[in-house]
Amino acid sequence: MTRFSPSLIIRHFILMIGAAVVLAPFVVMLSYSLKSPAEIERGTGGLFGAQEMMVDPKCALRNAPRRGDIETARTRFPDRDDSTIQTLLTEEANAACEVRPVVFNYRSAFQDAPLLRYLLNGVIVTASIFLLQVLIALPAAYALSKLKFWGREAVFGLVLFCLLIPVHAIALPLYLGLAKIGLTNTYAALVVPWIVSAFGIFLMRQFFMTVPDDLVDAARMDGMTEFAIVWRVMLPTAVPALLAFAIFSVVAHWNDYFWPRIVVTGDRSLFTPPLGLREFQAGADGNLYGPMMATATVIVIPLIVAFMLAQRRFIEGITLSGMK
Amino acid sequence: MSVADLPSSAAMRRATADPDRRQASAGWLMSAPALALMLTILIAPVLLALMLSFTDYSLGNPSFNWVGWDNYERIFTRSTYTKMLSATFTYVITVVPLSVGLGLGAALLIQSLTRGAAIYKAVYFLPVMATLLAMTIVWQLMLHPSIGVINRGLEGLCAMPFTRGLLSLSFLGLSPEATWFGRVCTEGAPLWLGDRDYAIWVVCFIGIWQGFGFNMVLYLAGLTGVSRELYAAAEMDGARSYWERFRLVTWPALGPTTVFVVTITCIRAFQAFDTVEALFSPGGGPGKSVYVMMFAIYEKGVTQNLMGIGAAITVLFLIFVMILTLIQHWITERKVHYT
Repeated sequence: MTRFSPSLIIRHFILMIGAAVVLAPFVVMLSYSLKSPAEIERGTGGLFGAQEMMVDPKCALRNAPRRGDIETARTRFPDRDDSTIQTLLTEEANAACEVRPVVFNYRSAFQDAPLLRYLLNGVIVTASIFLLQVLIALPAAYALSKLKFWGREAVFGLVLFCLLIPVHAIALPLYLGLAKIGLTNTYAALVVPWIVSAFGIFLMRQFFMTVPDDLVDAARMDGMTEFAIVWRVMLPTAVPALLAFAIFSVVAHWNDYFWPRIVVTGDRSLFTPPLGLREFQAGADGNLYGPMMATATVIVIPLIVAFMLAQRRFIEGITLSGMK
Repeated sequence: MSVADLPSSAAMRRATADPDRRQASAGWLMSAPALALMLTILIAPVLLALMLSFTDYSLGNPSFNWVGWDNYERIFTRSTYTKMLSATFTYVITVVPLSVGLGLGAALLIQSLTRGAAIYKAVYFLPVMATLLAMTIVWQLMLHPSIGVINRGLEGLCAMPFTRGLLSLSFLGLSPEATWFGRVCTEGAPLWLGDRDYAIWVVCFIGIWQGFGFNMVLYLAGLTGVSRELYAAAEMDGARSYWERFRLVTWPALGPTTVFVVTITCIRAFQAFDTVEALFSPGGGPGKSVYVMMFAIYEKGVTQNLMGIGAAITVLFLIFVMILTLIQHWITERKVHYT
């Protein structure tokens, strides 16, 4: 292939236009999270905003001079009338409330809503889901691939059938069941529907099929129980497959919005990151675009950074479902 | 097993009988949790949905009535639900071919590069991983009628005589009303999300934007499986042009990938929810034009507590998914084994 053939240039041109469209919202998100409200309103400030000092409106409101402040400030401004004192005090308060837009946006994101709590909830929920999925799938996958027992084919058949059921589709009856046993608005409700992953069982079973029987037999000779074999022999061999599954699972549940929306109503202390952002958008602060974009950035960035660091593994993990 | 089958191994069989039984009980013990959970979390809800779809149950009501096929009849006759079906199918029929096509196109272009392939691949894959809800809110801001960058950009293009003339095709002598861009310049930029004519297409666009990178990766994996020899053979048989080689070699070899990609994209498209909920809740968009099924299940079943109708939509949804999977199996078994 020649170095700079016209066809090569055209191909790069097309791909670059595509890349621009794909990246546009990410650029806007980052850029707006750096700008002041005025810059967003007027569409100025370029990519990073001018970062001129701005007055934090909330802080200014909080520190606005009250009746008593004017009384006490009279000694400082002996020969001024009240309205002048008030103006001077307001100026002082505003000066004390000056911040850089970037600081304002990110500080508001964390202070106006319990964003840290949302992030923590996201971590708790995704980690619990993944750990329970493994806890349940690994022994089952081992049994289905290495142990002979009556009914094994039937159980595997059920796994294959369950692969066809998208959990989101049966959200309504699941919600009804959880509501009946009083579990809505709990961590359990966020986690329980996902703990049995037919896909996880299937994937690990296929992986264990490739593990030689000799390994298992040798472990049995050593007097290991079947349960010990699962956790001490099979688990270490399955680390690459588990890592891919972990990425698949964590990305899906960190980003999931549908299920948390259904089972968490109102209780902010249980909000996952997407729910928190949605509340921000719907709430009274919905026109504070800077802090909103800062929140969005904080939610989106962890996965993107992880992706940049381990691209191949991520692509493998998320397209796992392509292995069926 | 082979040892135990030998006639002379009766003694051995006796010795292994105990381990066999131990293995069987361990097998049951280990698969029991998964089995029990699959039955309660996945199978039972399907049956429950089926049952509820024939009732008028509401959460909190002490009793309910059996209403026969009423809920299903409503889905196919009431305008709300026919709008739901039409929005869902419009979305699926738009998003699936375009995101599969763009995924394939991107994969072919990227695969043909010697440099920069990894960068494009990473960039196109970003939306697949980013929280869709967050990105939807960013798109909403970009599409804001007055302060959004898209309408600002359109206004900017209108303000410059050169681009205005070029994009509205007025250099061909067309009147400003004749082209979309011309109308944007004379009548003002669209409201996008507030406009019935645009709302569903914006949601489709976000769906395609988010999903085609996933398909691209699957196609790139599929392309590595196409053997070089087939291309050489095709060339010897006279397939000179790129297009000929694509038609004769690449496309057939990608058959299994395509069947899989189309099925999974369809199932994902049917499940569209985040975009609609973030942009058009409550209601489902101007004139209910974006009232897709998952959103309807949420709004009817959860928000309005009409479990019966929500369950009926759920059942319909599951039937669509089953049909898709059956079609996939049928095609896979019938014809896609070329390689």
